[in-house]
Amino acid sequence: MRSSEYENIIKVENVYKTYKNGTAKAVAGVSFSVTPGVCFGLLGPNGAGKSTMMKMIYGVSYRDGTPDSGISVFGHDPGRNALPIRFLSGIVPQENNLDEELNVEQNLKVFCRFYNITGSQAQDRISELLSFMELSEKQSFGIKQLSGGMKRRLIIARALLNNPRLLVLDEPTTGLDPQVRHLIWDKLRRLKRQGMTILLTTHYMDEAFQICDSVFIMNKGKSVAEGNPQQLVNKHIESYVLEVYSKESFSVISKNVTEKCCRVDDDGADVTRIYSDDYERLREFSKQLTGGDFYLRQSNLEDLFLKITGSRLNAQQ
Amino acid sequence: MRSNSQQLYPPFLVRILSVWYRHYKVYTKSLISNGLPPFLEPLIFLVGIGLGMSRYIHEMAGISYLSFMATGLPMTSAMYTAAFECSYSTFIRLEFDKVYDGMLSSPLSVSDVLLGEVLWAGTKGLFFSFAVVLVMACFGFIPLPAGLLAPFVGFLTGVMFATLSLAITSFVSNINHFNFYFTGILSPMFFFSGVIFPIENLPAVLRYAAEAFPLTHAVRITRDLTFWDLKPTLLYSLLYIVLFTLFTGWIAWKRLGKRMIY
Repeated sequence: MRSSEYENIIKVENVYKTYKNGTAKAVAGVSFSVTPGVCFGLLGPNGAGKSTMMKMIYGVSYRDGTPDSGISVFGHDPGRNALPIRFLSGIVPQENNLDEELNVEQNLKVFCRFYNITGSQAQDRISELLSFMELSEKQSFGIKQLSGGMKRRLIIARALLNNPRLLVLDEPTTGLDPQVRHLIWDKLRRLKRQGMTILLTTHYMDEAFQICDSVFIMNKGKSVAEGNPQQLVNKHIESYVLEVYSKESFSVISKNVTEKCCRVDDDGADVTRIYSDDYERLREFSKQLTGGDFYLRQSNLEDLFLKITGSRLNAQQ
Repeated sequence: MRSNSQQLYPPFLVRILSVWYRHYKVYTKSLISNGLPPFLEPLIFLVGIGLGMSRYIHEMAGISYLSFMATGLPMTSAMYTAAFECSYSTFIRLEFDKVYDGMLSSPLSVSDVLLGEVLWAGTKGLFFSFAVVLVMACFGFIPLPAGLLAPFVGFLTGVMFATLSLAITSFVSNINHFNFYFTGILSPMFFFSGVIFPIENLPAVLRYAAEAFPLTHAVRITRDLTFWDLKPTLLYSLLYIVLFTLFTGWIAWKRLGKRMIY
């Protein structure tokens, strides 16, 4: 039991989740494992079941009691024994839940108590983390005075109070400006270098590319792809994509874009995406288009994501 | 396995007290506006009833009318503070401010959160009833030192109304529904629990209802302790309070647990 605990920090096996008033399963037979020191990303559109999966991992949501299913985090089942898991992990929930009746420092002080960190030890830890998250000057601010980015950074600081071995972040940078997102990625990379295991959810592909060693793409409660982000892109997606922003422009080149040379995705409303490994060919097409109405670029995880989850909205989004 | 897991997260008492500490921090943040009214209210009462009503009613159940009420009021004060804390405030922490969600992302369980809540409401019951006793004793309406036992009954009253209010909260989906609780349950309790007048001479139906009200038993214990008139019925009243607390606490734990983790 001890050895398996160290092979995988998290092991999820064949997990299902049905909400009482829900008709569809939020999570439908998901399995994955997270090894120590890795940054593991759960990707998927809104409603894919990412948050539900996260909540089951730190024990604030119960999985269905289907046979052969199980979750183990640090060797503990979060459905039965969540406290040791939450003692060893820092949790950053999707929804900000800072205590608005307390200021920045008091928020952290109260949370220190939850971990049984008191006195000067708590004080040291608080100033250390406020400076790490670049919030030192905000120490006595009320929560309502903080911007969205500051709140998010404070919640991350709060999650780090007990020197966690695992950091769980549910959409850490949703709705934040580019500067804050880069700051948060920078901090997460630094924590990872210190040996921390990180599990995060996101629907931003650049985020996954920036910090994840391994991604797990979910759609409608199921796993659809898993692996290293770069390798996934190389394996499933052509190297280049020409995006054409109107149907009129596309009609200029449509007769030349044959199925043999390229893959065409015109699922979206106006944008047509032409995928190919042949950069020169795509450049030839682009020359026939008026400037500004197209964009020729390398393909990325977003293209993979759109390919496998479909570019149209589904009912859960 | 058990001894191993005990070292992996803070022990039970530390966890409960950490929840208590959060509420204490929030309460003492506005010390004047939170700490003064419990002392002002009995003063206002004394002026109103003392100067007004006691000219017409001199005696109640063998003691002066002001002493009769002075020994009941610490408990209504404890009742109201605990009821507010564990209805409106709890609902806001649960649904709007997401304070419990924050707690549940740390090594605290649903039971820890709820027990911390109940312990805090008991503490407020103790403090609020102490404030009333202090003011009343200053004017000689509550005898000392026996009157100083009343805040301990105030603690029990706070705990009891905390569990009752949490149980009520577990059924509430819209914060305005608490109006029914305060008007429909707590107000009748204020009038028919032997605080304003003795329940012994009420018509039979009302008498039974009054005996079922938990506040009746808290007031009875307080009055008997304060005037050091110890009777075996005290034990019966104490037992009633304990059972009532356990029963409502169990409902609250069952139902609120499902609202926090599902």
